[in-house]
Amino acid sequence: MKPIGILFLLTSLIAVLTSCGQDTDIDSEKPTIDLTYPETFPLNGDTLYFGSTATIKLRLQDNNQLGSTRSLSIDMHHNFDHHSHSTEVDESNLDPAKSPVNPYVFIQSYDLPPNLNSYDTEIQINLPKQNEAGLYDSGDYHFFISLTDAQGWSTQKGLSIKIVHR
Amino acid sequence: MLKTIHACILLLSMGAASSSATEAAVDTSLLLKEVQIVQSYSEQQKQTNSLSTEHINRDYLFQNQQGNLMKTLGQLPGVSNIDIGSGMSKPVIRGLSFNRVLVVENNIKHEAQQWGVDHGLEMDAYTVDKAVVIKGPASLPYGSDAIGGVVQLTSGLMPQANTLGGSIEFHGKTNNDLLGTSLWLYGRSERIWASLRLSRIDRGDDKVPADSVDIYSYRAALYKNHLRNTAGKERNAHLTLGWLQDHYQGRLTLSRTHSKAGFFANAHGLEPRNVDSRLHDRSSRDILDPFQEVTHLKLLQTNQWSGARFALETNLGYQRNLRNEWSPYVSHGYMPATFPDSLDFDPDLERAFDKSIYTAQLKTSYKMDDNRQIVAGINGEKQFNHINGRGFMIPEFQQNSLGIYALAHRRWNTDLHAEVGLRYDLGHLQTQAYQDWFPSPTTDDTNPSEWVYLQRAASIDRYFGAWSGSVGLSYVPQPWSVKVHLGKSFRMPIAKELAANGVNYHRFSYEVGDPNLSPETSYQWDATIAYANNRFRIDWNPFFQYFPNYIYLNPTSEHDRLYGNGNQVYYYTQAKVRRYGSEIQLRFQATNHFEMGLTGEILRSKQLSGSKKGYTLPFSPPDALHLSTKWHRSKLGPIQQAYAAIDVEIVATQNRLVPPEITTPGHQIVHLSMGGIVPLSSQNIHIALQVRNLFNTKYFNHTSYYRLINLPEPGRNLALSLRIPFQRLLNQKK
Repeated sequence: MKPIGILFLLTSLIAVLTSCGQDTDIDSEKPTIDLTYPETFPLNGDTLYFGSTATIKLRLQDNNQLGSTRSLSIDMHHNFDHHSHSTEVDESNLDPAKSPVNPYVFIQSYDLPPNLNSYDTEIQINLPKQNEAGLYDSGDYHFFISLTDAQGWSTQKGLSIKIVHR
Repeated sequence: MLKTIHACILLLSMGAASSSATEAAVDTSLLLKEVQIVQSYSEQQKQTNSLSTEHINRDYLFQNQQGNLMKTLGQLPGVSNIDIGSGMSKPVIRGLSFNRVLVVENNIKHEAQQWGVDHGLEMDAYTVDKAVVIKGPASLPYGSDAIGGVVQLTSGLMPQANTLGGSIEFHGKTNNDLLGTSLWLYGRSERIWASLRLSRIDRGDDKVPADSVDIYSYRAALYKNHLRNTAGKERNAHLTLGWLQDHYQGRLTLSRTHSKAGFFANAHGLEPRNVDSRLHDRSSRDILDPFQEVTHLKLLQTNQWSGARFALETNLGYQRNLRNEWSPYVSHGYMPATFPDSLDFDPDLERAFDKSIYTAQLKTSYKMDDNRQIVAGINGEKQFNHINGRGFMIPEFQQNSLGIYALAHRRWNTDLHAEVGLRYDLGHLQTQAYQDWFPSPTTDDTNPSEWVYLQRAASIDRYFGAWSGSVGLSYVPQPWSVKVHLGKSFRMPIAKELAANGVNYHRFSYEVGDPNLSPETSYQWDATIAYANNRFRIDWNPFFQYFPNYIYLNPTSEHDRLYGNGNQVYYYTQAKVRRYGSEIQLRFQATNHFEMGLTGEILRSKQLSGSKKGYTLPFSPPDALHLSTKWHRSKLGPIQQAYAAIDVEIVATQNRLVPPEITTPGHQIVHLSMGGIVPLSSQNIHIALQVRNLFNTKYFNHTSYYRLINLPEPGRNLALSLRIPFQRLLNQKK
């Protein structure tokens, strides 16, 4: 038996197996949140007010199809401790760090209309002035957006905003 | 395509040698004669066993020592790891891991928190004398979790009669300033023996060839290339007592491993948080929050009786695995901003798992004649699992399982063997309901009216039963050998798959179980075709596997609202899955002192149904080629068994992905190793030196859990192992 012959055969076999069998019809791209869309609100450094309604305008896009059930998530939480995450967070204009007393927390997910590959949101968020514990703390907050497409690919944006009492 | 072939041929002609485990046949046993017997036994096993296996010995483990045992085994073809930092690796066999790969130490299944990605193997690597990796389902002798394969570890081999001795071992690594020390003492009279091993490992933060990492597009700067807070330590003790008579051997093993390891501070929690860099960068050796602490206690008792035709083996085991995960309290979701003092757990205890396992096994074998043998056995296991801490992931549960099997082996002549086996398993799983310790609003409204303590998991009470079976045929006319194996195996869904409902703090995701999952079934075909002569050996192991209902954690487009930061929700689902692939090993003894080798592996998985139809499975190992050239002399001046080797790892780009994975570019890295046995006065000193990643190449590992946050693998690393054995013969009274 000639070893070199076997070697050649098996090497070719590996090469053949390796070079075929890739699927091209599956989606492999993440959705996008386009912050250059001129209407976008909020952007880094924008201010929201307790006791008023903010309209969230975002342009959401996907190469294939955006998700629908609870596919957009918005989360606002305090940044009094100056923690930091994700892109777009601009830490240049922060108030001094402080301890939270009664910080405002907002976590909500939104359905998007099904079968779309581009959607402009117009979400009304009503920010209350207070809860049972009293007035909410004003100051630096993070506005965190997470978006998924129908296949489960996800993208995140974190924005640094202020929420204050008028 | 032609190019690929040419490239391969070119590489082949350049030469290379897998330091394939099986061949590391340098004599282990200056000390222990028995080891040699075991060696030849494993060679014979490899030939007659119809499943494809890899066998390695203490010398291979010594010469190729990595950060942990599973990383050392990960160099074998078809075997890899899922890593989370340098201290924690899980075995992956042909792309399957977690509860699909079973680890067995001295015949008893190692039971810990296998389901968790950050849960390494609680095993003292120094105690392992022999490792066998079974590639493919070995449900027959082991039951449920062996659907992907088995890692069999043997520790505490019996010393030679009338000896006293031991060894001291050191292992040092420059990358994370690791220092490991292990002391081994043993003694044996004619019939009674004992062996004690004490080991400790201390390591600093891992270093990577990068100044910063991108954690979900947030860039975290690294101080002096250190991964903040990845330091760790281990303290292990292992005691074996053995006694033997003419047809009987008994042994009792007591071991305790304890480890404390930090998690990469920039990538742990609900979101990639900025950490207190000043605190972490003060020292590269301190272990701060977040960290985990794991203690594993094991008591095993084995009896073996063997007669001319009949053999009986009993194994009893008790294990306790206690894992505490610590991180500073951060309120998330609707947890209160300040932790109430009315609760019975520490606010900084993120999660805790406490598991007790009782195992009992009976195995008999009967040789009807030289050509026919029957093996039958029964094994039972009882588990109690308790949880604690502020974060919920899996509920408390109790699990009982019982399996009964029989295997018949028939030999027609020296060349032709057949094996057929059947097994039935019965399992019972009972999970407890879990309710949050804090209230959340029930309405989706921004002005919630009603607050309740949410129930995260309902109680589950389920019975599972399933048949497994296998048929194997080996035809070994020298120099050829052909083995074919067909099998059906099953796996019981685990508590996490049925009842998980919580945040995965390493992946920033939310995982939800499905209480109605059915037991996972797999059908596999597996073959080995080998040719060997004096100078040349080739092994080819193709396989094909089909799962009608593979249990899979599926990322959906949903976000969680109530618990965390609006993390993406992953649901456990079942899908049809097809997998196939192969490993190849070549070895060429060019001259008496020079050998070359090549190993290669490919694996393809595809989901055939469900919402991820067309996608692969998560953590698919990329195609890889491993070339090596080894030079060795049995004597070089005063040095015995001297060797030097160059290894080249060539890994292809992995672009077969499933959300949320990202493409991992291919890489080539080069390792050097050398060593031998240096006599120093009356002592022999075993030395092994390795230079890993010689050119300090920055590369990524697709199956690292930190791949998603763009964390490169360690840079250049110098590792030195020393072993100084000593032995004294006792006066023989006869």
